[in-house]
Amino acid sequence: MQNRISLNKLKKGEKAKIVSFDHNLPAKFFELGIIPGATIQIMHKAPLQGPICINIIQNNTLIALRVTEASIILTDKI
Amino acid sequence: MKKKTIALLGNPNVGKTSLFNRITKLNQKVGNYPGITVEKREGTIKENGNEYRIIDLPGTYTLFPNSLDEEVVIKTFSNKDLEDYPNLVVIVSEPNTLNRGIVIYQQVRELGLPAIFVINMEDELEDKGVKVDYKKLEAYLQTKVITTDARTGKGIKELIKSFEFQVPPYFGSLELPAKYKNALEDAKKLFPLDNEYKTWFSLAQEDAVVMSEQTHHEITKLHHKYGISAQELQKEESILRNKIINQKLGEIIQKSENKKLSLTEKIDNILLHPIFGYIIFFGLLFFIFQAIYTWSGPLMDGVDLAFASFGEYVSTMLPEGPLNDLMVNGIIAGIGGIVIFLPQIIILFLFISLMEETGYMSRAVFLMDRWLKPFGLNGKSVIPLISGVACAIPAVMSARNIENPKERLLTMLVTPFMTCSARLPIYIVIISLVIPEESFLGFNLQGITLFGMYLLGIIGALLSALLLNRIIKSVRQTFLIFELPTYKMPDWKNVLNTVVEKSSGFLIGAGQIILAISIILWVLGNFGPNDKFSNPEKYIVQENPHFTESQIADEAVAYKTEYSYLGYLGRGIEPAIKPLGYDWKIGIGLLASFAAREVFVGTVAVVYSLGDEIDIEDDGQKKTLLDRMRSEINRNTGVQTYNFATGISLLLFYAFAMQCMATIGIVRKETGSWKWTLIQTGFMTGLAYLTALIAYQLLK
Repeated sequence: MQNRISLNKLKKGEKAKIVSFDHNLPAKFFELGIIPGATIQIMHKAPLQGPICINIIQNNTLIALRVTEASIILTDKI
Repeated sequence: MKKKTIALLGNPNVGKTSLFNRITKLNQKVGNYPGITVEKREGTIKENGNEYRIIDLPGTYTLFPNSLDEEVVIKTFSNKDLEDYPNLVVIVSEPNTLNRGIVIYQQVRELGLPAIFVINMEDELEDKGVKVDYKKLEAYLQTKVITTDARTGKGIKELIKSFEFQVPPYFGSLELPAKYKNALEDAKKLFPLDNEYKTWFSLAQEDAVVMSEQTHHEITKLHHKYGISAQELQKEESILRNKIINQKLGEIIQKSENKKLSLTEKIDNILLHPIFGYIIFFGLLFFIFQAIYTWSGPLMDGVDLAFASFGEYVSTMLPEGPLNDLMVNGIIAGIGGIVIFLPQIIILFLFISLMEETGYMSRAVFLMDRWLKPFGLNGKSVIPLISGVACAIPAVMSARNIENPKERLLTMLVTPFMTCSARLPIYIVIISLVIPEESFLGFNLQGITLFGMYLLGIIGALLSALLLNRIIKSVRQTFLIFELPTYKMPDWKNVLNTVVEKSSGFLIGAGQIILAISIILWVLGNFGPNDKFSNPEKYIVQENPHFTESQIADEAVAYKTEYSYLGYLGRGIEPAIKPLGYDWKIGIGLLASFAAREVFVGTVAVVYSLGDEIDIEDDGQKKTLLDRMRSEINRNTGVQTYNFATGISLLLFYAFAMQCMATIGIVRKETGSWKWTLIQTGFMTGLAYLTALIAYQLLK
């Protein structure tokens, strides 16, 4: 069974696969590697709903995004 | 032989600028793209009898523009008649993110431009656990692939040789999604000469960046007709390309564990820690702030001394007269007033560039975004705001790192509220005049007031941001996404280059304006319309027959100030500043302060006939000035000029008013707009007037 959860709700260290997202997400997110099917890991979270730093495993890059955008990205927890 | 134009293009953080510096051997110039303040860096080299013009394009992830910087890229590529249109594009990438490099490479090729592919930071291939089959990669990209290491210079020669490489034609462009076939067919009618990808590319444009308003209007019509959006097409393309590229790269690249990333993770566990991260960040800021204050002190004294003695030398060399005075007190003093900021600017940019180079800057953004977002700012605003405590000039310049145009503008507009070092002498003088030297709850009351002034600056900046945020319309959706690069040792050449570039940019850009204003102020202060200005001694002796010669001399300086054009201006604005509790003498100080705040103390000293060489750090001289100011009576109200109400009113005025020509100059340069510069000056000065008025009327 899979756990469908929005990206902002994942905890530090957890891995997930991006499933889909709201169509409002700017194209820039895609260009930085946030695309359906990409596996990510939560690396750091700034306190009090601050930005989230994720590792896009396939690219081996660290990307930071705000909770506002993270909350419209749906993932399957691995 | 014709000069070839070579354009460097690539993602941010791939060492493109280092590579550019290597190729051009720093033989480069920095200008602005016409009409906007995006930096344009280009250099010229001669190699093997060929001459090349190298252009360093802004870093971008795609050819679809997201920021002003990125618009430059597509503008450069879209018009063959432009001087900048490249004969060859060099795509720069790094081992870890080859796929992103290939995305932009393919876009360039499919738009019909010849390109070669560079893998920079080749020394990191092993650390990052990447093995590349170059033959296969070259076959896939249909071009030459070169590896370089910009830090050591490895591969640069080979790269320059490849500028002559005859790039074969490109086959096999992206297969566009079938569901947009009809829209694409319609769009083809608008662009009969373009290939299929180019048409698609135009169809996926959000703004009329590279086409006429008319064509863009037609495109928008198509969007409505088929119920599609530019962003949607861009995303589709991104997904498609990534899928295909990743599949292909699977055969070309072997990836194992990224050692760089695990080291970066360890460092980040400390630097991004919810508690220690902030402690380290603020500790670092405190250190930078201290460095700007303490390290620049002796240098600034040195500059001051050098210009003073140079002025003296010139004044003895030239025959006495107005020309001599203009040279010494107008021009040389004016240039000195610019150069004196250089040490602070150099030190500040040294730290900022180090933070950029090592990769710490994006960590600071990560830590601070949460706290600045509610005010319409962004994590990146933290650097300008903090730097503003030293000097608004370099601070405004450092806002360049903010991509979102609205957040960048907001940051530049509110940064001058921060209590800069030039306000300090004025605060010290006025606080010691009107705040009693007593303690309150064990704290020195004057000290608390000074601290309060710093706090007021921060509050002023944040609240104004909040207000302006509601007024300024956003051109683009605000969002924040950025890459945290792996930590690296700084490339010292880049650091040095940045510092030199920014400092000279300041000297030339803001310098012209400061110089002009200093000369105007000098003229206004040194000429008067009538005899009272030209022959002050006559009138002084008439009014005060018992004066000694030195008293007459001091009084003459004051007299000349009073009856100069500046003095008349001071009296001219008196009705406007009367409600704030000021008289014309303060008025002169205020007017002079609009060139630079620090002028206030000197001007007031002149007006109160103490000669203009008052050193506020000398206790004796400070006491003389304070005593003289205390005994001053406002002839309008008949009470002490510097009473509590006037003092607070003055403090508030200086806290908020935009009184620095240099800052106005730099804001004009950085925003590229007089409109915003004037709005800022008007807003700040209006706020200053209003708060000073309210404070005085309540307290008097």
